[in-house]
Amino acid sequence: MLGQILAEFPGKVRLVFKDFPLEFHAGARPAAEAARCAAQSGRYWEYHDLLFLAQPEFSREDLIRYAARLGLNREAFTACLDSGRFRKDVNTDLAEGGALGVRGTPTFFINGRRLVGAHPIETFREAVQDALEDGGRK
Amino acid sequence: MTGILTLTAVTVALWAAACSGQPDPLAAGALTMDPRLIRGAAAAPVTIVEFSDYQ
Repeated sequence: MLGQILAEFPGKVRLVFKDFPLEFHAGARPAAEAARCAAQSGRYWEYHDLLFLAQPEFSREDLIRYAARLGLNREAFTACLDSGRFRKDVNTDLAEGGALGVRGTPTFFINGRRLVGAHPIETFREAVQDALEDGGRK
Repeated sequence: MTGILTLTAVTVALWAAACSGQPDPLAAGALTMDPRLIRGAAAAPVTIVEFSDYQ
């Protein structure tokens, strides 16, 4: 959905994704780490979008299968996933979110203005418009 | 002169954050930024930070 906002406001909006896997979502952390493995091959956003379509099917085999579907090298991806190479990066995002008072997902900050939970696209349109009218302070 | 301008800018940023009742994570430099996890123009006037999980 935010991809649509980016398309509707070309050059005006930047999206920064931060991982915040909730503990009671067992597959969320491996999925987050897998997405970063896909990023190593420059396919982060495709993998990211695929994960949202595929949720909650996030077994190790599933994650590897999704990578293969995108044409990523299966061996390299599997090695990355099994290594836990990006565990620390995910932990950093969690810590940063926690420090900002993030408690649930999704939580958005639109030029600093907090928006918690899933909202219709109109809410994001209005928030972006408001931010632009406020002078687009970054 | 530069010092005064810097101090003024910092004061305004803190005042703005205080007025909004919440810190701006970007203005406060509270976030690490992985460029691979960013979409959109770097110079865009609006930044959406999304904390999310996949499940």
